[in-house]
Amino acid sequence: MTAYIVRRLLQGFVVLLMISAVTFFLINLAPGGPSSAVNFTSTASEREAVLKQYGLDRPVVVRYLDWLGHAARGDLGTSINQGLPVAKLLGQRAGATLELGLTALLLATVGGVVLGILAAAFRNRWPDHVVSALSALGMAIPGFWLGIVVIILFAVRLGWLPTSGVFSVGAQFSIVDRLRHLALPASVLAFTLMPNIVRVTRSALLEVSRSDYVRTAHAKGVRPRAVLLKHTFKNALVPVLAILGLVTTVLFSGSVVIESVFGWAGLGRLAIEAANGRDYPVILGVTLLAGAFVVVVNLVVDLLYAAVDPRIRHG
Amino acid sequence: MAEALAAARPRRSRLARRIARHPIGVAAAAVIVLLLAMVSFGPLLYPQSPEAANPALSLADPSAAHWFGTDELGRDVFARILAGGRVSLAVGLMSMLVGLTLGTLVGGLGGYFGGRTEMVLMRLVDVFMAIPAFFLILVIITAFGNQPGTVIVTVGLGFWAQMARVVHAEFSKYRTAEFVEATQALGASHPRTMVRHILPQVVPQAIVLATLGVGWSILSEAALSYLGLGIQPPLASWGSMLQNAQAYLWAKPILAIYPGLFIALTVLAFNTLGNALRDVLDPRD
Repeated sequence: MTAYIVRRLLQGFVVLLMISAVTFFLINLAPGGPSSAVNFTSTASEREAVLKQYGLDRPVVVRYLDWLGHAARGDLGTSINQGLPVAKLLGQRAGATLELGLTALLLATVGGVVLGILAAAFRNRWPDHVVSALSALGMAIPGFWLGIVVIILFAVRLGWLPTSGVFSVGAQFSIVDRLRHLALPASVLAFTLMPNIVRVTRSALLEVSRSDYVRTAHAKGVRPRAVLLKHTFKNALVPVLAILGLVTTVLFSGSVVIESVFGWAGLGRLAIEAANGRDYPVILGVTLLAGAFVVVVNLVVDLLYAAVDPRIRHG
Repeated sequence: MAEALAAARPRRSRLARRIARHPIGVAAAAVIVLLLAMVSFGPLLYPQSPEAANPALSLADPSAAHWFGTDELGRDVFARILAGGRVSLAVGLMSMLVGLTLGTLVGGLGGYFGGRTEMVLMRLVDVFMAIPAFFLILVIITAFGNQPGTVIVTVGLGFWAQMARVVHAEFSKYRTAEFVEATQALGASHPRTMVRHILPQVVPQAIVLATLGVGWSILSEAALSYLGLGIQPPLASWGSMLQNAQAYLWAKPILAIYPGLFIALTVLAFNTLGNALRDVLDPRD
């Protein structure tokens, strides 16, 4: 098991390193890259001074290694537009994204697993069809549009919930206030995440229910519900666990847009602001952090997976 | 020749029977054809211009002259839906082609040659799978700007890695197949073996993924344009229409409804068709 953990850790580290290289070179080799962003300055000597100030006069490989060296020590550079350290900006925004993301993940997992069980238990009957129709809608409806629709409905029309923000500005901290702000964006995000989880839960349950030990359980007279929940579900959870890595990437992609719709001051909004302002160090830092998150989640999932299923760690 | 035909016929009719078992897939295909026809010929038939502003008719309700009403500048919303749909569908289809081509190329080369080539290419795929697609898209847009061509390529880059994985799995399965060995023994070159002999085996799966890819691309483009980072004025897509509409949520919420409905309908149709095709073309399940 230790060898397996070490191997996976090394692999995760390599992937992370490559993510940083891919994003760094994409940004720096583009014809409209950082060095052209200083073209607004008037004279050639000023331009040179700016290039020198940011170290852009050096070869790109040297800049990458330099950036990497700093990044390893937690220094991701300075935001061009805001003048603050990127690491500090990331720190300010990560909390809001975690709050939104974890809530959505929780809602999506619970909802997805319950609906998946329902669909499998009533296979090819109407609850199954309703669930698969819902999943199809979840895959097709743009998350940001659903966000707009629920804002129209619950905030503009009914006035039950706030339209945007993480909390009420100027008001004292209160859990209720936070939850009221969280309700709409988290639900919308969860709705877009759910289809993956529903599909995997359903097919895993059906797969396991065809196995011999489930047939044996049925044959020896265990009640159908007990077979489903005790014998089948426990084993079906493994594949569900396995897609959490994928779900995290979808979650990050979705949160970028949802944060914009709901004015949620998280990492996604930061990425959009950086893209709009061509703030290279920030977009680089945010992407790296998102990638690191995905790598870590995949790692944790793989380790849990190996812990549950010995075939993997020995295979 | 006659024998070949006789052998082909029952196969085709079996395919036809399988298609007939998927009325929903057929309906999805019909919706797609209808949408394509609508955005292709609609602008020629519908009398209103998508660009003509009319301040006197700002935010008007639907009428016989303006089917979906008008927007804040008095432009006809239905005409804009037709024009925007052209852009959305064109971007969706072209992005899919970008992702399909790149994915097939990388996955195919990796799977066919194996060894070190495979190692390098597939690790690259892993890296692209680990970056959340939308962040990758933002990075590229930040670096390369948002001309329509860039948007198309960028959105395509968002899903090529998934494509590459599937194509890779197929190619590496056939790498050691007998018919490939036979082809090589007869002296066929690597490109010929890959394109003429292995690629056809992968077509069914590629069609399925490509169909799903169109839906994914349309969604990504819409999100990007909604954020103001995708298609820029004077061009408009369904996504950028939504960006406009959000400023009028209180005065005219319906403006935000139409484009979203069309996006959802289009993506739903492509996804449904993709899933139906998977059942039809890949009977292993």
